[in-house]
Parts: sequence; C-alpha cells; structure tokens
Amino acid sequence: MTTRSIASRSATRSALNTTASDRAFRKAARVWFGRTGIYWVVPLTILITWQALVMSGVIPQRILPAPSGVLQTAITLFTEEGLAEDIGVSTARALAGLAIGGGIGLVLGMFNGLFPLSEKLLDTTVQMIRTIPHLALVPLVILWFGIDEKARLFLIALGVFFPIYVNTFMGIRYVDRNLVEMGRVYGLNTPQLFWQIILPGALPSILLGLRLALGVMWLTLIVAETIAANAGLGYLAAQAREFMRTDVVVFVIVTYALLGKLADVIARFLEHRLLAWHPNYQKRAR
Amino acid sequence: MARGTHVAASGLHKLFGTLRVLRGVNLEIAPGEFVGVVGRSGSGKSTLLRLIAGLDAPDAGDIRIDDALLVGQNKAARVMFQDARLLPWKTALENVRIGLPRERTRDAAEALDQVGLKAHANAWVSVMSGGERQRVALARALVSRPPLLLLDEPLGALDALTRIDMQMLVERLWLEQRFSALLITHDVEEAVALADRVVLIEDGVIGLAVTVDLPRPRDRGSAAFAALKSEILNRVMGFHMDTVTSL
Repeated sequence: MTTRSIASRSATRSALNTTASDRAFRKAARVWFGRTGIYWVVPLTILITWQALVMSGVIPQRILPAPSGVLQTAITLFTEEGLAEDIGVSTARALAGLAIGGGIGLVLGMFNGLFPLSEKLLDTTVQMIRTIPHLALVPLVILWFGIDEKARLFLIALGVFFPIYVNTFMGIRYVDRNLVEMGRVYGLNTPQLFWQIILPGALPSILLGLRLALGVMWLTLIVAETIAANAGLGYLAAQAREFMRTDVVVFVIVTYALLGKLADVIARFLEHRLLAWHPNYQKRAR
Repeated sequence: MARGTHVAASGLHKLFGTLRVLRGVNLEIAPGEFVGVVGRSGSGKSTLLRLIAGLDAPDAGDIRIDDALLVGQNKAARVMFQDARLLPWKTALENVRIGLPRERTRDAAEALDQVGLKAHANAWVSVMSGGERQRVALARALVSRPPLLLLDEPLGALDALTRIDMQMLVERLWLEQRFSALLITHDVEEAVALADRVVLIEDGVIGLAVTVDLPRPRDRGSAAFAALKSEILNRVMGFHMDTVTSL
C-alpha cells in the first residue's frame, strides 16, 4: 500500500518536471509514429520474428536463410557479381514491353472509344483474345522466338496491352456526354473537344489501367525470365535453384517485391500530379 | 445599345418516339428582350430551349435568328444549363476561357470579376459551392458577349437566398449588356422577377403570355408583383385543379 502510493507520487512529480521541449519531442514522435511509423510495425515484426526463428534453429538455414544472410548475399551480389546490371537489364526489358503493349492499347482503346465503326470491327476480337491467359502462350512464343529478347518483349507487351486497352476504352466511353455537349455549345472544335474534355475525363480510368498493367508487367517478366532467359533477375533465381542457393532465390523474390512497390509509387505519383483537380487526390484538410 | 438578337420560332413540333412534346409552338423574342417560360415538368419547356440552341432539330416548323434560318448549332447563343457543367480538371478562370482565343484571357478574368469571383480565379471548381459554380457558368456564358443567352433552369438547384442573389446578378448583367434572354424555369416568381414577358407552356403549346410591366429592380413584396405572380400561378395550377374536381 505504502510503496504503491510512493511510486504514484514520484510518477506525478516526474510528470510535472518534464520540460516543454521534452513534451514537444514526445508530441513530434507521436505524430511521426501515427503518420509514418505505424506502416512499418507489421513488416518489422515479421523480419525480427523471421531472424529469431532462423537463429534459434527452428527454421533450418537451407530452407529459409535469415534476413541478415540475405542482406549479406545481396551485398556480395552487388559488389562482386554485377547485380546492378542484371536489375538494369530486367527493368529495361519490362519498360520496353510496357511502352510497346501499353502504347498499342492506349491508341486502340481511344480509337474504339471514339469511333463506333472501329469498335464494331475490332472490339469483339480483342475481347476474345483477352480471355486467353497470356502466359498460356509461353510454349508457342518459345517456338516462334526461341528464348531471346523478342520472346520476353512479346509476352510483356501482350500482358500489359489488355488492362490499358480496356480502361482507356471504358474511360473514353464514360466521359460525361453533358460536358461534351457543353463544349460544342461553347464553340470547341473536334481536336479541342478531345484534348480539353474527352482525354482529361478519361484520364483517371487510363491511369488505373496503367497501375494494373504495371502489376502484369512484373508478373510476366518474372515468369518469362524464369522459364526462358539468359540474363536478368529471373535467370539469376533459376540458376541459384540449380546450386541450392536459397539465399539468392529469396533475395531475388525480395527484389521483385521492392521493384513492384517502386512501380506502384511512381504510378501514385503520376496520379497525384495528373489528377490534382480530382477531389480524391487533394490534400486532406485534416 | 440593343445588341441582342431577334428570335422567331414558328410552328415548332417535336416528337420523342410517339410522345408529342411540342405541337405548334410560336415564340418571338425581340432584340434585348427577356422572356421567361414557365410550365410544369414535362411540359416541353426545356425541349423548346434545346431547339432554339440548335442542340436538337425540330420535326416541323422553323426558327429564324435575325431572319436567317437556324440550321445546326445556334452560334449566337450561349446556354446556362441546370447543372453548371464545368470541367472539374480546370480552374475557374480556365473554365471561363473555354473556346475563347488565348489573347482574350483578360476578358475571362474580367467576366469572373463581374460575377464576384475574382479571388477564386485559380481555384478548382470541384471544391466550389453550387452557387459559385453557377456564377462561373454565368461568367463563361457571358464572356464572349453572346447576343442570346439561354437559361435552362440554371438556378433550380440553389438554396433560396443564393437564388435571389443570382437572379439579381443575371438582371444586372442583362441591363448592362442588353442581350436577348430566354429563361426556362418552374419558379413563377423567378420568371416574374426577371422577364419582360412570361409565357406558359402547357400540353406542348403556348397557353398564356403575360407582359410584366413593373419597374426594375422589381419589388417582390409589392401588390402588383403578387397579383401577377398569383395570376400566372393560378393558371399553371388551375389546369391541374380542373382535372382533380372532375374526378
């Protein structure tokens, strides 16, 4: 009883003694945690648990190396085996495929959204091809192109084409007709209508297509590089499997996750820049 | 000073499928005249406006703008729609500038000033209130100095006080610029407050035309105003009451 009252009294005193700067620091820390820190609680907990499980021997190193081991492997790969080059090759491949497939999807989506004749001629065919999982074409693609660059570009381009095509088409189709009518009343000609009303109206949908396409892009790249490649990250993982280098395999998987996250960040950044007018993207008041 | 356009519509018919929305409407707007059109919903008053704007073509009859037959879009007219129809991806100033040559940006800023939104020129319209959005729409309609302004119930969605504000603003700009104006509204008081002449559309034809000979700005509390308003309102409602009593 006595001890408790003493303890509580000393706690009160120390609370009274805290200086203003101390309180400001705590407040800043709380704000930082609420804004940034909280997102890292779960990933860090997983990492620490993982490390502890491997170090205590619950998980054998051979099955799953510890995060520290993966990090060491990463450093070796970067400094001694020119990993940066592998990542560069993979990324360049992915982006080239995105540019080709996405470009075709964007143009075709616009044509079919704008011109009913083009839609009638092409949309049924495109929708039919869309139902085929593009990775089912891998054997055919290897027969056509072998395992060189063209095969991977073809697969990635085919994969990213559909999300961008569908979302561009829908975006243009669902632009508010009333706004288009207003544009005509106010004397806009057809190119002005497209640039000032139709394209900005379809942009949120097109950017959604881009984000979906980025996901497809990485997926296709990984599959294509793992099955048929002679350089790049997937090739590295496939080789590591042959030599039972679990640490390298895990590292490659983590790298894919980071690259995917990076692509997502870029897509979000584009959305915030291009859709600054959209109420959903305006800085919240609170 | 009058630089408004002369509008003469005669024998206008419009069908939507089997529904005859307009059946022989004759309407004339003198240069600089402000005409109010009232009627119940579905009476065809908005259809009439769309025909005069050249957004739809009549099934029979013709419209002459300063004696020239109207074919296709009416280039003399600007329309204020019930919804402001602003482009959310443009700022207020950019919205006013729609269809305006680049060298006339200053006119757009002036037009925004006239509707009292100078300070909001660079604001996104998506964060503006309903009243502010309609002010931007009004500035956009008037910046090109159109000879004919068509108002398709533009104030219908506003609250009562904002609406009276907007009515006074429209009247002031009309007195300054003397364009011809056609106001479609379901609000009889609004029509009596603004129009030189109020016409009633019922069953697809003009059922009544009343000249409003009251000095401007009109005193809504005056006996003459009230009498005129109730005369028109009774006529609008009267049709309805006859059907009720006959049941």
